[in-house]
Amino acid sequence: MIEVSNLSKSFGKLEVLRGISETVRESEVVCVIGPSGSGKSTFLRCINLLEIPTSGEIYIDGEQINKKDVDINKVRKKLGMVFQNFNLFPHMTTLENITISPIQVNKTPKVEAEKEAMELLKMVGLQDKADVYPASLSGGQKQRAAIARALAMKPEIMLFDEPTSALDPEMVGEVLQVMKDLVNQGMTMVIVTHEMGFAREVSDRVLFMDEGLIVEQGRPEEIFVNPQNERTKNFLSKVL
Amino acid sequence: MDVYFKGIQIAYSGIMVTLQITVFAVLIGVALGLIVAISKMSSIKPVRLIFSVYVEVLRGTPLVVQALIMYAGVPMLMQTYGINFRWEDPIIASILVCGINSSAYVAEIIRSGLQAVDRGQMEAARSLGMNHIQAMRFIIVPQAFRIILPALANEFIALLKETAVLSVISVVEVTRRSMLWAAATFEAWPAYLGTAFVYLSITIPLSRLVAYLERRMAQSDRSK
Repeated sequence: MIEVSNLSKSFGKLEVLRGISETVRESEVVCVIGPSGSGKSTFLRCINLLEIPTSGEIYIDGEQINKKDVDINKVRKKLGMVFQNFNLFPHMTTLENITISPIQVNKTPKVEAEKEAMELLKMVGLQDKADVYPASLSGGQKQRAAIARALAMKPEIMLFDEPTSALDPEMVGEVLQVMKDLVNQGMTMVIVTHEMGFAREVSDRVLFMDEGLIVEQGRPEEIFVNPQNERTKNFLSKVL
Repeated sequence: MDVYFKGIQIAYSGIMVTLQITVFAVLIGVALGLIVAISKMSSIKPVRLIFSVYVEVLRGTPLVVQALIMYAGVPMLMQTYGINFRWEDPIIASILVCGINSSAYVAEIIRSGLQAVDRGQMEAARSLGMNHIQAMRFIIVPQAFRIILPALANEFIALLKETAVLSVISVVEVTRRSMLWAAATFEAWPAYLGTAFVYLSITIPLSRLVAYLERRMAQSDRSK
């Protein structure tokens, strides 16, 4: 479903990704862990071309997306993205945040878009917040609204970039619960996270990244219980 | 006392000309300024360069000099090329020169407003499948507009005051009215006190409005 081949990304002289090859299958849940600055977020952002790779290929559903003549806006509709800082649109209500893209990009009729948005809000437990502005939502509510917004485009794959890192501790649980619901619905997900317990519980596979490379990967019980690589061991001993 | 009222009355008789020039100049300024702002953010280097020079020249020379160039210089230049041109009405030249002058300032206001919108907003919009134009239209510009509204109103106030120099190119606006009356009656003190009063009667309410807009913006920032 997602296939990444020899992906590299440099910012000027700084090499952030140094040749990453990885495949994510349909309905697979992959968590990416690793120390700060290891390139996790950049890897995720390359998948929907928020960062343009310096070299390498990215395929979504077998189609290469990082070449000329590809309509990136069309590809991005298959990829939902959730950001660390939510990035809700502050000048729109929660409902408008969710419906703007279906209405403007997919040309969904407004009534239908709103009906679908209400269902999504119900799913994330925010049906009573439809008409308020993001400013009056708590962090956890903002992130749940942002997840609903991404889901409104009916993506095949959801990308999460440290979705709970900006949250107060007591709000982490409600966001993780929504993500677990998505896992149970069979959504394909790539999650960059520092929530090791969550990664261990929900993921089919864990990737450990360090210095722009995937150093080790495997099923969560392998990685967390019996890591092979020295750097993985070192990292996990500090965070677990 | 009567002479003071007369001074105010005389100055007020020029208010329509002053307002007319200011309003049309700001409209031109905003339209041109938007084009200049977008061009200055262009990915094509020569375009960026040309419009940077445009802004530098307009901000680096006095309005009165620009007005003289437009009103007296341009017709002469055209005549040397055999085109018989003169301004029908100095007000037209005034609106043009003030509009062009204002566009340089407005361009900087718009550019800073667009850049003040968080980068994540564009990323979120694009990640939802919007193209660049849709993202600008629905997400970035509405937020930028709220940010720049107070600055635009300030630009209007600044320009309104600056139109006083247009008396140099024989536009009979507020200041020029008073000058003419003062020259005829030697009542310089009531005349120019009246001029100041008339300008203040417009600028004070406007700057109150700006302060209100800024307060409201600060509130919505706090609750973000």
